[in-house]
Amino acid sequence: MSSSSTPKAWATAPIPATAGIGLRFCHHQPVLDERPSVGWLEVHTENYMGGGRPLAYLDAIRRDYPVSLHGVGLSLGSAEGPDRVHLERIKRLVERIEPGLISEHLSWSMTGGVYVADLLPLPMTEEALAVMCRNVAHVQEHLGRPILVENPSSYLRYRHSPIPEWEFLAAVARHTGCSILCDVNNIFVSACNHGFDAHRYLRALPPESVSEIHLAGHTLKDLGDGRKIRIDDHGARVCRDVWHLYDEAVALFGPVPTLIEWDTDLPPLAVLLDEAAMAERRLNAARGAGNADAR
Amino acid sequence: MPTLDELQRAFGASLRFGEDGTIAEAIIGGGIAPEERLRIYRNTAQSVLADSLRLAYRAVERLVGRNFFDMAAARFMRECPPRTGYLNDYGDAFADFLAALPSAAELVYLPDVARFEWALSIAANAPDAPVLDIAMLADVEKEQHEALCFMPHPSLRLLRLGFPADEIAGAVLSGSERAMAAIDLSSGPAWLVVHRGPDGVEARRLDPQAWRFAARLHAGETLGSLIDSFPDLDIARALAEQVGRGCLSGFWLGSTSESLRCSGGAA
Repeated sequence: MSSSSTPKAWATAPIPATAGIGLRFCHHQPVLDERPSVGWLEVHTENYMGGGRPLAYLDAIRRDYPVSLHGVGLSLGSAEGPDRVHLERIKRLVERIEPGLISEHLSWSMTGGVYVADLLPLPMTEEALAVMCRNVAHVQEHLGRPILVENPSSYLRYRHSPIPEWEFLAAVARHTGCSILCDVNNIFVSACNHGFDAHRYLRALPPESVSEIHLAGHTLKDLGDGRKIRIDDHGARVCRDVWHLYDEAVALFGPVPTLIEWDTDLPPLAVLLDEAAMAERRLNAARGAGNADAR
Repeated sequence: MPTLDELQRAFGASLRFGEDGTIAEAIIGGGIAPEERLRIYRNTAQSVLADSLRLAYRAVERLVGRNFFDMAAARFMRECPPRTGYLNDYGDAFADFLAALPSAAELVYLPDVARFEWALSIAANAPDAPVLDIAMLADVEKEQHEALCFMPHPSLRLLRLGFPADEIAGAVLSGSERAMAAIDLSSGPAWLVVHRGPDGVEARRLDPQAWRFAARLHAGETLGSLIDSFPDLDIARALAEQVGRGCLSGFWLGSTSESLRCSGGAA
């Protein structure tokens, strides 16, 4: 059915402060068949920019679940600005799906009109901050609503990068009114790779701006000669250290929508639901602790 | 200190062409060389694009093997990089690239198999659009029938291929040696229509005359002109088949000064 001729079976549903899972193609049918008890679902925006079967699945799933759109291709940090055609495609999908949240990354992927298929690190400079703020503001104006910006994992730092990432991200939120998608696994990965304090990162984020948390697994890659680097491959369960960091994040920010991401070596749906249940228990524990404090 | 634009261009040149020199100077080593750090990003970017091509060109990969496919994909990425983050659009030039690749010259049918698979990919990912309901034509006055022009569904592609690429792709993906052995490479051109109907993507062969009619119909030629050009073709039947299979999205009256456009029905 075309979007223009189809009466909507839903209104924009806010994303609840519960655990959700990242929905990938292989889980479309299981979700429709099993209707699992999960608070919400998040999909990669780019996977639904065409028509046909993927979009039909998303329409069907959206009738029963709040959905968040999480993009990877807009290149918010590009000096040449975000891809206008890509932004228009996002807008069409937003109008059709009416997602509870729309998010992208604190990174860049376009240069010289060429798309590089990864989330590349920004130098944390005043110039990059101005570019990022200009691009986020442009996207928000075009979509007519605020977006969330996520901190990516990184494997390198620039010699000239004087602003700490946590200050940079907070400044983007302050200047543009966007929210922060705090990826706790990414903070852990980058903190290990670059030797900064993950706890300090969390404490520096403005709690009122954090509207979503991401959790995922990562791997420790051996580069030889005793050198190791953590790679954010979204291919395993959330590790214990990241769960502990998550507990700290929830204590700082309060219960916020929390997503389990898994993108490589995808397991059965039940494994994702199990991870989501773990996040839910921790959210509930934080709620209980908050209530006890209030008394 | 480079500007952001200079830094991003240098980073892009590193990932695409392996020109690490300029960007490496801007990166902290700290026990892991900048070139090694850049390689992590390069590997991810290349594997994402290779997987995207692999998804569209499954039969091509089976025909050449994974190693050759990855080599060809890596060269293709350097020569024809993506221009957007929507990767379902990436790979339209792969068939022509393979046709010009000397190491693939022995597989003379390979570019046609790629063209066929790209049409399938377009059909699968094309935007949703209305499907013309034959009942909507009932309101058109009989004397206006010859002015009718038709809009094809955006998923539709017509292919005239020198080799039986549809049979080759089907056989290689089925893994059937017998089906592969039965293919006659000299069986003449394959006249194909590929589109996404209500039951999914379908590819069919047409006879040459029906294919030429469909090509001109989808190009927006008036029905009157088509009737004149194809005196031996049962136009009513050919048009009914186009409508019945969901190949058309709408119509307009082409020869009137105020063209009436109409699209509708179910997408």
